[in-house]
Amino acid sequence: MSRGETAESLQIAGPLQVGEPLLPERISDITGLGEFGVAGELTAAFLAAFLVGNLMLAMTGVAGPWAKRKITAAFTDRIAVNRAGPAGLFIIVADAVRLLSKENIIPEDADRPAYDLAPIVVASSAMLGFAVIPMGSGVQLADPEVGLVFVFAVAGIASLGLVMAGYASANKYSMLGGLRAVAQNVAYEIPLVVTGMSVVIFAGSLQMSTIVDAQTQTLLDLGIVSIPAWYALVNPFAFVLFLVANFAEVGRNPFDTPEAPTEIVAGYQTEYSSVYFVLIYLGEFLHIFLGGAIIATIFLGGPAGPGPEQLGIVWFLIKIWGVFMLTQWLRSAVPRVRIDQLIEIGWKGLLVLSFANLVLTAVIVGLIA
Amino acid sequence: MIGILKSMATTMKHALDGSTFTVEYPETAPDVSPRFRGVHKFSQERCIWCRQCENVCPNDTIQIVMDDKRNGEQYNLHIGQCIYCRLCEEVCPVDAILLTQNFEFTGDTKNDLVYNKEQLKAVPWYKDIDPLESREPDRGAWIGDGEGEVDYQ
Amino acid sequence: MSTEIEPRPQDVDVTEDELEALIGDRAIGRDDHLNAPGFVINPDDVQDVLFDLRDEAGFDHLSCLTAQQYQDRYESIYHLKKYVDPTQEVSIVVPTTLDQPVSQSAEPVFRTADWHEREAFDLVGIDYEGHPDPRRILLPETWQGHPLSNDYDQTKPQLVTLSEHENPIQPDHVDSESDTMFLNVGPHHPATHGVLHIKAVLDGETVLDVDPDVGYLHRCEEQMCQQGTYRHQIMPYPDRWDYVSSGLLNEWAYARTAEDLADIEVPEYAQVIRTMGAELCRIASHMLALGTFALDVYGDFTAVFQYAFRDREVVQDILEDLTGQRLMFNYFRLGGVAWDLPEPREEFIAQTRDFLDELPAKVDEYNDLITSNEIFQIRCVDTGILEPEVAKEYGCTGPVARGSGVDIDLRRDDPYGYYENLEWDVVTEDGCDNYSRVLVRMQEVEESAKIIEQCLDLLEEWPEDEREVQANVPRTLKPDADTEVYRAVEGAKGELGIYIRSDGTDKPGRFKIRSPCFHNLSALEQMVQGEYIPDLIASLGSLDIVLGEVDR
Repeated sequence: MSRGETAESLQIAGPLQVGEPLLPERISDITGLGEFGVAGELTAAFLAAFLVGNLMLAMTGVAGPWAKRKITAAFTDRIAVNRAGPAGLFIIVADAVRLLSKENIIPEDADRPAYDLAPIVVASSAMLGFAVIPMGSGVQLADPEVGLVFVFAVAGIASLGLVMAGYASANKYSMLGGLRAVAQNVAYEIPLVVTGMSVVIFAGSLQMSTIVDAQTQTLLDLGIVSIPAWYALVNPFAFVLFLVANFAEVGRNPFDTPEAPTEIVAGYQTEYSSVYFVLIYLGEFLHIFLGGAIIATIFLGGPAGPGPEQLGIVWFLIKIWGVFMLTQWLRSAVPRVRIDQLIEIGWKGLLVLSFANLVLTAVIVGLIA
Repeated sequence: MIGILKSMATTMKHALDGSTFTVEYPETAPDVSPRFRGVHKFSQERCIWCRQCENVCPNDTIQIVMDDKRNGEQYNLHIGQCIYCRLCEEVCPVDAILLTQNFEFTGDTKNDLVYNKEQLKAVPWYKDIDPLESREPDRGAWIGDGEGEVDYQ
Repeated sequence: MSTEIEPRPQDVDVTEDELEALIGDRAIGRDDHLNAPGFVINPDDVQDVLFDLRDEAGFDHLSCLTAQQYQDRYESIYHLKKYVDPTQEVSIVVPTTLDQPVSQSAEPVFRTADWHEREAFDLVGIDYEGHPDPRRILLPETWQGHPLSNDYDQTKPQLVTLSEHENPIQPDHVDSESDTMFLNVGPHHPATHGVLHIKAVLDGETVLDVDPDVGYLHRCEEQMCQQGTYRHQIMPYPDRWDYVSSGLLNEWAYARTAEDLADIEVPEYAQVIRTMGAELCRIASHMLALGTFALDVYGDFTAVFQYAFRDREVVQDILEDLTGQRLMFNYFRLGGVAWDLPEPREEFIAQTRDFLDELPAKVDEYNDLITSNEIFQIRCVDTGILEPEVAKEYGCTGPVARGSGVDIDLRRDDPYGYYENLEWDVVTEDGCDNYSRVLVRMQEVEESAKIIEQCLDLLEEWPEDEREVQANVPRTLKPDADTEVYRAVEGAKGELGIYIRSDGTDKPGRFKIRSPCFHNLSALEQMVQGEYIPDLIASLGSLDIVLGEVDR
């Protein structure tokens, strides 16, 4: 609900609507809901948000129980799930039933409202972010002028959820995990945003669609192949910085210290079971995908790719999954850094590098302009 | 940095070569070596009730009850206790005991795993295993020259 | 300045007469063991005598402490050795009366006596005066009685309740003024390698103090061995001490001790097979150690763990062909082994050679994957420091000691089996940190491969009519009453020693196991103080403990 409203209000707030109509508008056009005034527009927005939200949930549904197992198995020379359905795909259903039918055990000393809210905060903050991502094929819920800042802002809410979960669980491992999570997010949010800003300097706008458009230009023309001006190619240094900061931000290897299964059991989610666990788990995967979506949008040309424009969303999803695969690849090969080293890398390494990158980009762009 | 990339290359190589070292049990039965010591098999026909297996068993898996004429009355096997040490087979003078290659047997409770000599004739776990056949390569090391035909129920 | 350096006491060989002179009047009798001269001393002289033996005669390794009860007295036996030459041994026997079993603690002399004496108190019931921490160690705090003492009623049920005085919700700072946090790591924790409970005191993420709480897997292994016959019934049990895959190494510890006790000669051919089998086990065990350590550092069941497991699987297949089981081998017999190599021999030898041929490539892969990875290095180098002096004080042996630069390996220093006649090296690393311990294990795998290679050559060429796998050993063994022997072998984790006292029957009167993991674990507190939690876990992993062997 809040998602739909946000999309709606932001859409109204965004006066600089250019180019293609957004998904809610299309739906209202196709279904004729537009004739019912504001109520119709609102319904259309709901429908659109419902579509996008379910697309993302379906993706995490596939990713969590199935794709992750399959990918990990490939790296470790195993077979993994293959009994339920083709290639074991029905394990998703089995897992869902299993997790949802479990007893939801709540610790006696849990800080109740916070304990219950935390999973929702974690999951919904990631969902919100997708509202402004242009996924191609006309799938974009809203395109506010401050799109990039909006994404960073809502993704940042997740740390609140994590610290709530950690604190409210009344468990020392959860507490340690929550503290680690917040220390880590604070340390890596800044380089993340600062590196993102270097892209903004290139594109000259915070608006997602403008950033994507700016990347459709050609960087190099090699006859048959023309290399597009994706910012990953224009500024690979910023791309790597952003990738690293992003992995830390979503807590993936080698920066998965807030969970750190061998050290602090499962960190902030130690005490969560059943539905709450599913929500936190979904939230984590959504965050990986949101991170992938941001990377795809601001560094990999968003939905750009060969073929007709209608395939945009396919390319976009491929890019997101590419980032997801990368997280799993790192998981197979890279040890976890220690918490103090993690903080050190964040404050002494990435922060400095990201500012250097920002200044450098600004100088170069200024010189060219 | 090079080290990290090398690690990543190593795992990627494994991911791409498509080979797996796990198998789909039970469709692919694991290879069991000829010497493998699985579940205990007892031949009533050959047994001379010398009770050596009962004595040597480290944890009372075998229980033998004899009547006053020293004829065997009961041969009880608590297979749930067995540690598969093969000492009973080793001491048996007439090769009445073999540890087969079968390791797939279950029971719902530990009481399900207690068998007397009548039940042992029809236990499900032997399947079609011919213990002598399965250990053919090593037969000399396992089976002395017993008298007459060896009959393992 | 004079270039002549006073030789350290441990470098000088001490004769029995010198020992006698050193101990002098404090010896109230002699009680020689098969492996070492034994001196009986008064309970009040323990520290005095041990200090002298350590400082004057160089016996710097308290290998084992055996406590036992006779009809008329309790007895603690301190088995002392030297790190530089473990064949130099001396036993100090301390009898105490039945009604007042109080003996002076050796803890001020050897730090490792701490856990030794706690165990002796726990199981046998001897009080050690001046012990800094006289608690039970293997059994629960509320246990009644001492199970290995003669008057213990084994039929009496034990009600093991929580301690009465303990308030479960009391504040658990070390003291109420400080900002520390008390954290239970385990007994159910993803990284404790079994059921280990570590009571940790934290200041933020920094570990201030740890207190390992062991005994969750105590299975009365010593008592079980005391109830089994020498000839047959004991051999299946050593497989179950360090159960991860070093079964043959454990069996060898028993075989060596019992063969010395009953004076059994083992045919050379059997020794070669034993050597080969034991080294295969060592490879399997080190592979698992590597895999689980990587698991602790990497954080998930990731590639390294699986690859290590995959390679261990090959070794286990070979061992299964050889022994008939994958873990619980029961392959050694007193006086030899159960069987010759499996037929067809050529196939078995070829299969083993294939494994050895592939091993270097696999080791390279591990080097690519683990040791050369920079993040792995920053995680492991200079963490979990165990200085050589501390390692010795805590009685550390095996790869843990060798990773701290202590050059000890019983295969070389106290030769048994066929090791003497083979070409191989003892691996040591001077880093004293988690990284060194990993390196030591990885290199030991290669050394073991060398040994196996040579054994295979020997086995291949061994004349067919001289392949004697078992000496002729009587069906019932009854060693002379009151013969005592302590013997150790180099297990996968270190010095695995066994003390047996025969009482004239076909079962041991006292069977004591000196577990390497137990003492390696006791050094944990020295390794992790001031480190972070992740390093606590990594250090624990680098010790490579198996709780089955710690708790026995």
